[in-house]
Amino acid sequence: MNSSLPSTAVSSSISARYTRLRHTKDTLARYVIGIGGVSVIVAVLLIAFYLFYVVLPLFVPARIHSQGTYPMPGGVGVTSFLTVDEQNEIAVRVKEDGRVVFFRVADGVVTGEQKLTWPTGSTVTSVASAPSGYFALGLSNGSALFFTIEFAVSYPGGAAPPVAGDGTRVHHSITPNLAYPLGEAPLVVDEKGQALQHLALGVEEGNPTLVATTADQRLVGVGFSREENLMGDVQVNRTAFTLPQEGHEGADYLLLSTAQKSLYAIALDGRVVVYDVPPNGAGMAREQRKLTQSGVGVSAAELLLGGVSLLVGGTDGSLAQWFPVRSANNIQQLTHIRDFAPLPGAVQRIIPAHRMKGFIAMDGSGQLGLYHATAHRTLLRKKVMSGVPALVTLSPRGDGAMWQEEGSNNLLVYKVVNEYPEISWSSLWEKVWYEGRSAPAYLWQSSAETNDFEPKMSLVPLTLGTLKAAFFAMLVAVPLGILGAMYTAYFMAPQMRTFVKPTIEIMGAMPTVILGFLAGLWLAPLMEQNLPGIILLLVSLPLAIFLAAWAWSRLPQKIRVRIPEGWEAALLVPVVIGTGVVAFELSEPLEVLLFDGDVRYWLTSHGIPFNQRNSLVVGIAMGFAVAPPIFSIAEDAIFAVPRHLTLGSLALGGTPWQTMMRVVLLTASPGIFSAVMIGLGRAVGETMIMLMATGNTPILNFNIFEGFRALSANIAVEMPEAELNSTHYRVLFLTALVLFLFTFILNTIAEVVRQRLRRRYSSL
Amino acid sequence: MTASLNRRPPELAALVPQSSKRDLNQADICLEVQNLDLYYGDKQALRGVNLRIARHQVTAFIGPSGCGKSTLLRCFNRMNDLVDGVRVDGRILMNGSDINARGVDVAALRRRVGMVFQKPNPLPKSIYENVAYGLRLQGINSRRLLDEVVERSLRGAALWDEVKDRLNDSALGLSGGQQQRLVIARAIAIEPEVLLLDEPASALDPISTLKIEELIYELKGNYTILIVTHNMQQAARVSDYTAFMYLGEMVEYDDTNTLFTNPAKQQTEDYVTGRYG
Repeated sequence: MNSSLPSTAVSSSISARYTRLRHTKDTLARYVIGIGGVSVIVAVLLIAFYLFYVVLPLFVPARIHSQGTYPMPGGVGVTSFLTVDEQNEIAVRVKEDGRVVFFRVADGVVTGEQKLTWPTGSTVTSVASAPSGYFALGLSNGSALFFTIEFAVSYPGGAAPPVAGDGTRVHHSITPNLAYPLGEAPLVVDEKGQALQHLALGVEEGNPTLVATTADQRLVGVGFSREENLMGDVQVNRTAFTLPQEGHEGADYLLLSTAQKSLYAIALDGRVVVYDVPPNGAGMAREQRKLTQSGVGVSAAELLLGGVSLLVGGTDGSLAQWFPVRSANNIQQLTHIRDFAPLPGAVQRIIPAHRMKGFIAMDGSGQLGLYHATAHRTLLRKKVMSGVPALVTLSPRGDGAMWQEEGSNNLLVYKVVNEYPEISWSSLWEKVWYEGRSAPAYLWQSSAETNDFEPKMSLVPLTLGTLKAAFFAMLVAVPLGILGAMYTAYFMAPQMRTFVKPTIEIMGAMPTVILGFLAGLWLAPLMEQNLPGIILLLVSLPLAIFLAAWAWSRLPQKIRVRIPEGWEAALLVPVVIGTGVVAFELSEPLEVLLFDGDVRYWLTSHGIPFNQRNSLVVGIAMGFAVAPPIFSIAEDAIFAVPRHLTLGSLALGGTPWQTMMRVVLLTASPGIFSAVMIGLGRAVGETMIMLMATGNTPILNFNIFEGFRALSANIAVEMPEAELNSTHYRVLFLTALVLFLFTFILNTIAEVVRQRLRRRYSSL
Repeated sequence: MTASLNRRPPELAALVPQSSKRDLNQADICLEVQNLDLYYGDKQALRGVNLRIARHQVTAFIGPSGCGKSTLLRCFNRMNDLVDGVRVDGRILMNGSDINARGVDVAALRRRVGMVFQKPNPLPKSIYENVAYGLRLQGINSRRLLDEVVERSLRGAALWDEVKDRLNDSALGLSGGQQQRLVIARAIAIEPEVLLLDEPASALDPISTLKIEELIYELKGNYTILIVTHNMQQAARVSDYTAFMYLGEMVEYDDTNTLFTNPAKQQTEDYVTGRYG
């Protein structure tokens, strides 16, 4: 307290209280503002963190670990098949002698046994299996035993499951059972009764097709189809066929693709003959080629899930994927698609997965590789045995695997953790050659009706869609917003400004869903019908405005003084409306005159595809959404340029236009830049307009007459249908993260540039 | 009575000729104001002002705040046009022609009538570009000519030695006094006939003020200078003629010596001796 001031009891007591109060308010305000600021940062960080948290598992590598080793249940003997149920709980071992042993995967305890029977005297000479648990045993008498193993799941306790011996509740019990879709009797494959040396099985909707090489080197097959008549009786039709032997002695691997109606007969030296298989195919060899380099043989071959891709393992450890590609003259040609990281030794086993376009491969030294085809990714490499594998099995869900070493009677049980194999840098950002496509491409197609579908998760079309939208939106919004701001802030009469500025700001507050459906349901058809008029309008409107301004400047002073200064812009309203009307009136004559009466046809025939929901519509709709914020912020920035600067320039003999261009814009440049960047951020993140007016086709081009799919709209469209924690779900989060990083980088650049501009051009 | 003269610094006192009274009737007249009325909307800011300004002399406008002296100054380069609702009656003749006449190019007028504001207002550009700005507005972009004019103007504004090594630095890094001299350099770079100074030193410290005043004295050989000031000592020190205004009217206008030492009106004397204001 200043001692020179006279102090009384009252004043000192009041001021002390007041000072305390003031100090409290000050402290409180500081904390509230501090907490507010920090919580904004924390919220943004949490969002980013959560996105990372959801996305991160995509990039965790696959792991396997041993779950145990036990003697092969069912005793010594050759195993024809080893398979497990969906839950990876019950395994089924089919022995060569026909014994079928069921045992628990966890501990190898045998839970049951059944027997396959075939005519006495014949033996098993070949085996084949098909996805979805179908099996066939080729017999020495020319027939094959076709069967499947069903796993019946029951819930014995219902809502209150019984407690098992080890104290855990048994929620369900799985009862495996042999089933014969076409009866217990073996199906005759070779009518001449020769032993089936190699057998291939394909099953489509429960109907098997079997192809086999016989002991006397013929290639014979039989297809079955079931027909149900009106009375509900099922009739099985059998079609037998013989395929011509096309210049090779032996088919050591026979692979039948029902989806492609083709048979791959592969010899050990790497030659393959592709047959069209009856009843749908011609029964002729379609193609012959060599799958390996000279001197390298084939030591393993399998079809990838879906039966389109052929996986070939070489004696040099190489692993390659092939599939038929339609060439320019419409001929299917087996084409080498990609190589996988090779194994050290000759590939002994290839086991395709049941739920993904992936497979495991093992070489003769027990080196295991887990691969994903589409992602072109090596998920895992591990040495799991010391010798040659006798048996390798992957559970249907790919969460468990079992293998047995040659010469050992022990079964090794492994758990596989491999949740998100489909994702790799190349599958997200590079061109990928998908099955059935004629060339590598950037594609987004996240789901389809079948399980063996190959997900196409390229983010390139979506990212470029977003950029395309932003580009066309900015093309419309930036000139409108900034030129409007320049005029409003600097030339317009203040009374008119007080009317114009809030109007445009209210326009900016309009929900974009309204703009979106107006754009999609009203503007898009309107533009489609009046396309020449719209193009004419876009060109003629600026011209008409310039012309009107020029005409105005030529008018005699007497007329010009009638309009108060700064209100001249109002005169443009009839000019704009008039130009619009004229342009639309001219639309049809122009279409007839220049575009043969149908501009859409004309464009398409000139190689420019046209969609109703196209980028022009989006550009205009988004322009409407983005221009108001750009206008508002730029207008504030221009209006805030200190008056003494403009006066200084005017006092030096500068015209208003010179002052605008050389002083005002320069000084306002940080603000104008911010305005553009905020508009760009809004354009990138905008969702509703993208959703409703773009057509949402994830195509990749910059044609103004075609649509696109943006990252934001993609999330909105697909998130509701994505299975929780699936790859698709996490990839959608990844796109959200990409969008987040996009805006983050954009804003950071904007802020850095803005700070620089501000340091450079800020006024006093 | 002669209080103002006593407060005058000796070296500046010597600069003002005291012996002979200046006669406007014999002077070369640059600007002439005839019956000037000016209205801001309904409010009249100037009432029937008549004034003749001698060429290559310094004329000071003094008076209390709101008396209309800045408004009058801004009539000479029509800066009042930029204010909404301004109406001007009467005439201002520059070299015999009316600057308010129809068809006068305002930008061209302002090139001939330069102005320096109360607050230094360099543009957010380099020192060099600030001085060259007026020339660039006229479409002069020859580097050689610009270099020459920039140096001459900065020397003319007594700033050259201080900034010659940092011409490309931002003008905003200069001190207030330097900025004001830069603005004067910028104004004289386009070689106007008339220089309007609107309280050019009121925001500056005494040393800077002194420099500006010395500069004004040096500049008057080439320019007709009109200065608005609140500071009567300043008016007495730098001007040849002084006009005292009050409530929009020209109360008294005479040569500076006479107005300060022997004013014709009591109101003037009261003001210059500091009895009100």
